[in-house]
Amino acid sequence: MQALQSSLSDHALPISSAPIRTSTATAKNVALLIHELQQLLPASSVILSTESQRPFECDGLAVYQQLPLITVIPETVDHVQAILRLCHLYQVPLVPRGAGTGLCAGAMPHAEGVLLVMTKLNKILHINANAATATVQPGVRNLALTEAVQDLGLYYAPDPSSQIACTIGGNVAENSGGVHCLKYGLTVNNVLQVKLITIEGQLITLGGEGLDEPGMDLLSLFIGSEGLLGVVVEVKVKLLPRAPRVQVLMAAYDSVTKAGDAVAALIGQGIIPAGLEMMDHLAISAAEDFVKVGYPTEAQALLICELDGTDAEVEEQLAVVSECFKEHGATSIRIAKNATEAQALWQGRKAAFPAVGRISPDYYCMDGTIPRGKVGYVLTRIQELALSYGLRVANVFHAGDGNLHPLILFDASIDGQLEQAELLGGDILTLCVDVGGTITGEHGVGLEKMPQMPYQFADAELAQFRRLKEAFDSECLLNPGKGIPTLKYCQEYRSLQHG
Amino acid sequence: MGDLTQQLVEQIQHAHATKTALNIQAGNTKASLGRHTSGQVIDVSQHTGVLSYNPTELVITARAGTKIEHLNDLLAQTQQRLPFEPPAFAGEATIGGTVAANQSGPSRPWFGSVKDSLLGLGLINGYGQAMQFGGQVMKNVAGFDVTRLQCGAMGGLGLITQVSIKLLPAFKLTQTLTFEMTAQAALDTMQHWSNLSLPITGMCHFQNKGQSLLYVRLQGGISGVEDAQVFLGGESLLPAKADAFWQALNQGTLMQRQDHQTLWCWGGPSDAPFDRVPNTCMINWAGAQRWVLEDTSNTRSQGLEKSLCQYQGGNRLGEVNGTVSVPQKALQQRIKHAFDPHSILNAGRVYSWM
Ligand SMILES: Cc1cc2nc3c(=O)[nH]c(=O)nc-3n(C[C@H](O)[C@H](O)[C@H](O)COP(=O)(O)OP(=O)(O)OC[C@H]3O[C@@H](n4cnc5c(N)ncnc54)[C@H](O)[C@@H]3O)c2cc1C
Repeated sequence: MQALQSSLSDHALPISSAPIRTSTATAKNVALLIHELQQLLPASSVILSTESQRPFECDGLAVYQQLPLITVIPETVDHVQAILRLCHLYQVPLVPRGAGTGLCAGAMPHAEGVLLVMTKLNKILHINANAATATVQPGVRNLALTEAVQDLGLYYAPDPSSQIACTIGGNVAENSGGVHCLKYGLTVNNVLQVKLITIEGQLITLGGEGLDEPGMDLLSLFIGSEGLLGVVVEVKVKLLPRAPRVQVLMAAYDSVTKAGDAVAALIGQGIIPAGLEMMDHLAISAAEDFVKVGYPTEAQALLICELDGTDAEVEEQLAVVSECFKEHGATSIRIAKNATEAQALWQGRKAAFPAVGRISPDYYCMDGTIPRGKVGYVLTRIQELALSYGLRVANVFHAGDGNLHPLILFDASIDGQLEQAELLGGDILTLCVDVGGTITGEHGVGLEKMPQMPYQFADAELAQFRRLKEAFDSECLLNPGKGIPTLKYCQEYRSLQHG
Repeated sequence: MGDLTQQLVEQIQHAHATKTALNIQAGNTKASLGRHTSGQVIDVSQHTGVLSYNPTELVITARAGTKIEHLNDLLAQTQQRLPFEPPAFAGEATIGGTVAANQSGPSRPWFGSVKDSLLGLGLINGYGQAMQFGGQVMKNVAGFDVTRLQCGAMGGLGLITQVSIKLLPAFKLTQTLTFEMTAQAALDTMQHWSNLSLPITGMCHFQNKGQSLLYVRLQGGISGVEDAQVFLGGESLLPAKADAFWQALNQGTLMQRQDHQTLWCWGGPSDAPFDRVPNTCMINWAGAQRWVLEDTSNTRSQGLEKSLCQYQGGNRLGEVNGTVSVPQKALQQRIKHAFDPHSILNAGRVYSWM
């Protein structure tokens, strides 16, 4: 992962004014905490040296870096419970971390706090083939879960592009999606139960054995809460049966607007493909250069569509989809004849991020979501904005659900380009809000998108978020400074807007 | 049709200032659910109207008092539907009440519940502040998910003013098949068929008047449904009869509870054996929901087990939902307080302590 990678760690970012709660822990408290942690855990699980903590100083958004005070790697749920109790007792902030693939600096450590690395809780506890469910520890990798149930003809639907590395705990914390969310939903639609530990060290189970629980939907509230409300220690997920047939096709267009319209029209006709992805010219050429799968490099936009179901269903849909793509001006349509061809069509899409990494020293990945019908307009507007900043933007994204991933290309070694990239990124996010969308579809707010939160939400809404946070964590020890801006931050933001 | 937001805000602000308990009401079709509570009625039934509907976006936004039946009719014109198939309760149920009570129909295991289709909502909290959460787009992870939190809260965290819902295309073909079999055989069969990637949208076993039938509903594209019908066999039910069956099931009238009876609803793993829930007379959601109808005098002495809910009838002043753990209870109370500090909104509807 190369996003903003070569940037300087001490770089002054617009965000750097974001408030990170300064811990009230005294030096004595910290010393006591370290002592107790060392008593509690194996020596290799408590890391204090700068050198050994270096790999943990950032997540996938490497421009935000911070060394923690202590890194702790628990091996059991009891460990997690004890660590949280101690942090609460000694008033030391705590940041949970999965695989660290997050793209919003959500897992960036706290300078005066504990970084809780969950990767050793990596057991698949139970698979129920009859009920099609699996119960796993939070450190299980997303792909490892699907691989474990493969022989049963089942799979876990949410498949982030980072699935080889990212953890189920991280997925729950971010409410992650993937290319198959269009039809099968996000993490929130595929998780049945979560066990979490509160900052006070209490174990709480959200969701039940059945489908719906009486009362407020705490499980949904918790999913996507970015490590601000509790630490996930166990997750029960729904598994889906593999479709008997999967068919991939690709359509090329000479304009992004036409491709965007084709997407809206297809969905409007009642076809929900398993996946529907779009790439623009820059992304197509970069991907083709990299993986050479025969993408039409002259095209301005490419749609990759996956249909699944029984043979009959797929045939029925394939006819409608091809017709719709043609009607909207596809210059060519390629229907994969076999699994190898299907894989090749996907390969370019899946390699698009690293491919873009080859044509630019750095890139910065955005995550706004917009109404499907606005795709053409927004992509055109993004190119205009990019031009005005003198930067290039490549687009490769989940078109079917309007979730954009503009990749801003820049060179951090050129003075001022990182700031320009950040400003362009901010403009793109506010553009998404302006057309009725949101600043983040699946990557989360973390530290990164804090400046746009007061743009999307009014003060009363932000205050409601803060009261909710306090209901779980009254002293704001869990992942402080992320996700939800403080009152002071909002006041400063508003006075800048009106000043 | 009209926008009563301002009026509702003022009513709640006044209640907040005077600490007056309010009872949020629209179609009043869910009075028999939850606990009986007192409070001054705040009427949402006139706060109606579809605010936006663009079929190509597969999203509809409507004011909370808009009737489910109205939405169903409107969506049918463009061959779309509400994915969670909420009960319309003789045309009176509203979309706001449906979200608050988390009511989804027979297709729940396959198309999800209310939360799976809910994209955003407007909410007036117990301070009388009107707020918007979520939105109209498919994916949105900015801020906490206050939107989905409302599902099942029965209005205890705020008055829902409007909702945005993700839609799905209407089915091209519907077929209902019946199979004569015992309840345990039906549980095994439902389990097996659930894992076969068939276009199933309802599986219910019902024992009635000496008959013991498994009902299976197939919905989807024409070829998919026809192929599945051939594959499964069984007796096919006439459309009008089938429709009446699924509607009665959805509205809770299938079992015809008498005044002296209590209707219990159990939610649990679909593969739990039949005797896990003694006296089951109906199994819905492919085994994940089971219903028991008993004489009220036949009271269950122990505290309610977590997975059992006293759905309708019986004493509605005591607890009707199963117990929750001590830390979770405290957490729910703090959340209630975060939205409604004086506990004026539908207090005590889900639990006596909330
Ligand atoms: C190349 C690449 C492609 C990606 N593609 C996608 C994509 O397609 N879709 C998508 O949604 N995302 C994508 N992501 C983003 C990222 O992979 C997801 O957000 C993922 O869910 C993060 O998981 P993680 O284990 O790496 O979590 P981390 O990055 O370690 O943590 C993420 C957040 O979760 C919290 N957290 C982690 N574990 C726990 C726990 N046990 N309890 C409580 N909080 C916890 C952290 O505090 C942090 O706020 C991509 C990232 C990369 C680098």
